[in-house]
Amino acid sequence: MNVLVLNFPGAERAALFTDERLENLRRLMDMGCFGALNAAGEWNVLARQENHTLTLMEYFQQADKLCVETTDPVTLREKLSVGDWDYLQYTAASYPAEAWSADDYRRLDRDLGEVLQELSDDTLITILGRDCFVLVSAVNPLSGEYSGGSACDIAPTLVQLAGFPLPSVTEGKSWVEGMELNNAAGLTADEQQILRDRLSGLGYI
Amino acid sequence: MNKVIVIGLDGFEPKIAEAMMARGELPNLQKVREQGGYARLGTTYSAQTPVAWSTYSTGTNPGGHGIFDFLSRDPKTYLPVMALSRYEQKNAFVLPKVVNMRRGTPFWDLLSARDVPSTILRVPCAYPPDQVKGRMLSGVGVPDLRGGFGTPTFYSTRKDLHADQSEKVIAVRVEGERVATQVIGPRDPKTKSDHKFDIQIQILRAENKIIISSQGQPDKLEVQLGKWSKWLKVRFKVGMMQSVAGIVRFNLRQIEPEFELYASPVNFETEEPLFPISHPKEYAHELAMKIGRYYTAGMAEDHDGLNLNRFDEAAYLDQCHIVMRERRRMMEYELGRFERGYFYCLYDTPDRLAHMFWRFREADHPSNRPHGYNVEFANAIEEHYRECDAIVGEALKAVDDETLFIVLSDHGMNSFRRGLNLNTWLYENGFLALKPGVQPGESGDFFQNVDWDNTKAFALGLGCIFLNLKGREANGILNAEAAEQTREQIVRGLSGLVDAERGAVAVRSVVRREQVYSGPYLEEAPDLLVNFSEGYRVSWDTPLGGVPQGLFADNHKRWGGDHVIDPALVPGVLFMNRKFRADSPNLVDLAPTILNVFGVPKNAEMEGSDLLS
Repeated sequence: MNVLVLNFPGAERAALFTDERLENLRRLMDMGCFGALNAAGEWNVLARQENHTLTLMEYFQQADKLCVETTDPVTLREKLSVGDWDYLQYTAASYPAEAWSADDYRRLDRDLGEVLQELSDDTLITILGRDCFVLVSAVNPLSGEYSGGSACDIAPTLVQLAGFPLPSVTEGKSWVEGMELNNAAGLTADEQQILRDRLSGLGYI
Repeated sequence: MNKVIVIGLDGFEPKIAEAMMARGELPNLQKVREQGGYARLGTTYSAQTPVAWSTYSTGTNPGGHGIFDFLSRDPKTYLPVMALSRYEQKNAFVLPKVVNMRRGTPFWDLLSARDVPSTILRVPCAYPPDQVKGRMLSGVGVPDLRGGFGTPTFYSTRKDLHADQSEKVIAVRVEGERVATQVIGPRDPKTKSDHKFDIQIQILRAENKIIISSQGQPDKLEVQLGKWSKWLKVRFKVGMMQSVAGIVRFNLRQIEPEFELYASPVNFETEEPLFPISHPKEYAHELAMKIGRYYTAGMAEDHDGLNLNRFDEAAYLDQCHIVMRERRRMMEYELGRFERGYFYCLYDTPDRLAHMFWRFREADHPSNRPHGYNVEFANAIEEHYRECDAIVGEALKAVDDETLFIVLSDHGMNSFRRGLNLNTWLYENGFLALKPGVQPGESGDFFQNVDWDNTKAFALGLGCIFLNLKGREANGILNAEAAEQTREQIVRGLSGLVDAERGAVAVRSVVRREQVYSGPYLEEAPDLLVNFSEGYRVSWDTPLGGVPQGLFADNHKRWGGDHVIDPALVPGVLFMNRKFRADSPNLVDLAPTILNVFGVPKNAEMEGSDLLS
């Protein structure tokens, strides 16, 4: 399981979730879950311990996972094409910090399309905006709109979806706590029926 | 010369055309013939639309472009697969991509490289479209919205109807002169259920019509009894966030005593097609804005609807006229702005119409027993050929002294009276084994109950035989030496096979693939090809891997004409407005001929030669 986080701090829910031209984003929304986030806490903080703030990335590092953090689109592209990462966290610095235009959203969707080309099926994709999220993974049991989530819930949710145990105390609350994760192979379709559909109407047969 | 205009007439049969010309019934084609010449045109092994037009496009035998049949097989599963294109999906997060399985280099790529523009309308096996300099609209190979070649829906108040083959049958109830139902859209790969689009039907009995109301465009669509409606643009929600648009048209079969309505397969909509169907991408919609909505599916004519008796011959003829008119408007629009380069427009209808109306040429055709003979349609093909001739006349208006004008067909047409159960022949002769206790007739499609560990050869597609080869097929048993022996035995046993009931030779010959194919894709070809006599073909049960009872069966489907027989028996036609070398021209000669008009040399793979030199 690879974990990819694409963070666009300037993108806002009101535009991100309503523009029908954002084809790649909308496809992901249909494949997984999405929703608004309360501003409570920081998304990348998994737990606050006495003298230390445990971030999501640190947690994966402690588990010997290959972690990369970058704000550089070129590095992102390189990492994606080589594939030498388990946890990849990208914060888009080349976009405006706020007040995005419609073109910025479309650029996000185009960039997203390029990123998606490079992924393997077992990737856990998280897209974050200023006040919203999209979460896609074959094992994700949540689908459709998820409301009432907080930013600090993201880290524990990702940890559980990635199949790791949670620390005893966490800052936020995992949305999939106690839920059975999907079987990743459950997505394959009934091949023979599709075959019949494809060949149907040929006339000669 | 600086222009080449090519009009393709799919399946235009020389014997019929020659007889009509002798009677003076095809004046425009006759004119072209007198200006230049006419000849029968050699076709491909096998004589099928995708194979033949791919050879036209690339100038190579099928071994050079990789299209051998509509169907191919996956050696890992023995299952038939669509041979024309393939869907590849890099991962679960991206849309699948269509990949054209016609390989080789089409001659318009060579023209593009030399800056000669092309306008290419509906050439088969260009889906997704080639990135040509100019414009291209894809044709045969483009599926409907469900991914098949044509999945219609039939609505009926009858209780005793069930769906046949690819269609969907929906039982409806009339309440207060209203019917509430749905148009069936694409399957959801996750839930395996169909996406649907709601429609409300109001019946106006006194006026013999219905009004279909929906969220589509237009919001109210009128359908007259026995007539085809205009297009309805529908939209399927395929998720909370995504939708897919399509176009559908209806034929109202009857209002009473039963209510019966036919909905065509849902075609891609041009503004937002599911997959690209033109180059440039926007071109398909630009055309629609100029000439109106049109059929985008590769198989435009709903032959299945007629085969299954969901509408009658008259309605099918009407539909053929609609398709012809659409295509003619496309052609006229493009010829109107055509200045130089290569122009091509294919009319598929002569083929689709002749498949369904051939039986009326022969009162004793076996298909007429269950479906009845109607002398009114005895000359339907001739009448259609006259319409084709008028289109040729229209195209001729764009021809000047600098134009090479070509009319051609990819193959001819013949009668299909008897079908050979090829797999049953292989079974009876010890080449194909069924699991213990299973008899022919007890094995369904897709080689159900075939005992692969004891099978040497199997048939699939329209006359293809594959060996069960060790190292190639999943449960292959033949080594190289045994494979050669098996081929030899099949060639000997099957060539000259007699249909004892009719006292006629059904199989003229069987050829090994390397006798007729060469090139980089030879390895993908069927191991053996069966050349049928006139009146014969593989049976309906053979293409998808059935092993029915008995060797021969009468053809009882309305689809009573066919052309997948010995290619020597079904050449196409070739008309050119310049004198040409008329000794056995072949489809491979067209690419070099057209290239030479523009001074572009043919590439090393092209096998033919310039017919004008």
